[in-house]
Amino acid sequence: MALYLQILSVTLAEYFAYRLNFVLWRLRSFFSMVIRYYLWLAVYEKAGTLFGYTESQMLTYVLLSTIISGFVLSTRTPDIAGQILHGDVINFLLKPFSFFGYFMSRDFIDKLLNVAFSIIEVFILMALLKPQIYINTDPGAWLALGALTILGCIIAFNINLLISFIAFWSPEVWAPRFIFFILVLFFSGGFFPLDILPVKIYNLLLLTPFPYFYFIPTKIYLGYTGFELLGYGVATIFWTVITSYIVLFVWKKGLRGYSFYGR
Amino acid sequence: MKKLRQYLEIFYLLSKYSFVTSTQSNVSFVLFFIAKMIRFAMFFFFIYYLVANTKTLSGYSVDQALIFFVTFNIIDSISQALFREVYRFRQMVVSGELNSVLVKPYPILLRVLIGGVDPMDLLISVCYIVLAGYMIHATGAVSVFSGFVYIGLILNSLVLATAFHIAVLGFAIITTDVDHSILIYRDLTSAGRFPLEIYREPLRSFLTFVVPVGIMMSYPSQALFGTLSLLQGSIGITISLVVICVSLYFWKYSLRKYQSWGG
Repeated sequence: MALYLQILSVTLAEYFAYRLNFVLWRLRSFFSMVIRYYLWLAVYEKAGTLFGYTESQMLTYVLLSTIISGFVLSTRTPDIAGQILHGDVINFLLKPFSFFGYFMSRDFIDKLLNVAFSIIEVFILMALLKPQIYINTDPGAWLALGALTILGCIIAFNINLLISFIAFWSPEVWAPRFIFFILVLFFSGGFFPLDILPVKIYNLLLLTPFPYFYFIPTKIYLGYTGFELLGYGVATIFWTVITSYIVLFVWKKGLRGYSFYGR
Repeated sequence: MKKLRQYLEIFYLLSKYSFVTSTQSNVSFVLFFIAKMIRFAMFFFFIYYLVANTKTLSGYSVDQALIFFVTFNIIDSISQALFREVYRFRQMVVSGELNSVLVKPYPILLRVLIGGVDPMDLLISVCYIVLAGYMIHATGAVSVFSGFVYIGLILNSLVLATAFHIAVLGFAIITTDVDHSILIYRDLTSAGRFPLEIYREPLRSFLTFVVPVGIMMSYPSQALFGTLSLLQGSIGITISLVVICVSLYFWKYSLRKYQSWGG
């Protein structure tokens, strides 16, 4: 445990060494949130309710999904692809800690910083623009939101690992990751809540892992209860288990055929 | 005249090299192309679906909102096709390779700003131009004069894009950071996916006069639909000329500060 705490502290120190990088990254996220916020504000200019959402629910969706996505999607796992391609991954295998534990620790700090800054940014936006937002007072909803967000993190972590593991077989790692970013942007509900789409498309999307990153947790805050909550909870657990199993399988298969000269 | 021909020959040569480099990996080329097309299709569908359901977006119809979006893509992809080299500039600075470029007997910006056309973005730009032509023709309510003004203001947008990219290069020489500044530029310009009218004050004025994204991305389409006054158009062109002069001055200033970081 002390070893992983040391990894956490080193990762934190890295962030403080490259402060400008982090600030500029957050500036980009903030601006992207502002664009979405104004887009939806303009859409609601002449309408009370649209796609089953009131203005306050939609703005809450935009702000809350920004915070949750900051937590779920922030990751250091893309570095792994480069480490596999350059042979550095071999060093990890010789060290007295788990490879996955190492990257989970790094991701933990990454997520912690990103979510802290996301919350500050949302509060700045709320202080400046004073939007009407929906407050859920049900402790059960908050609990489910927390649990499903953590599971969403694990699913995203696993898929990010899988994309990096492509490097075991091919140097073409950036194009698949770029495709993944684009799919996440739309199919995770980054730009709009997925249930505004036609029902058939929405149901089809629920069969993929993307909505469970942060769309479902945000919707739970906005009011999914009872059987809906149970159903989405089971689906999230299913994707967590299946992606974890695939990650371990691909990792073992990749290592078995992996070799690197000069290490 | 002879010098211009010489520069064009160098530009042709650099473009040829860029073509060979980009198509070295066919898989990567195809995957990136598919990814960019998916992103375009998703946004296109989203805007269509959103505005079709709300009837209007800040006074613009579905067709008009889509033309705004396609115009944004034309300007964005042409800029990327022309200025792809900017994304690789950091490496040139930190490795000291820039020294060898500085002593070459041709304008340095020809190498570090343009450095050859990116074939993929060029291909994508052609697709967008054809689509925009078709959509504008299909709306039927556009005069030949507004068509010419539209093309003229797109050229004006490219002047602004050039100015931004030169400023990023200057910033890179001083700070060795390109990645974040170019991505912040891209995030800011992405506000132009939608008509500028959706943004409320003071953001709208900020996007028009401080960071002239509005002039760059919105003015051409506004001129096409007759919602841009002559005064606004003239101010837009004047601002572009001022911005390009300032960025060239900044570039010369940064060159004087260059210390050959890695050479």
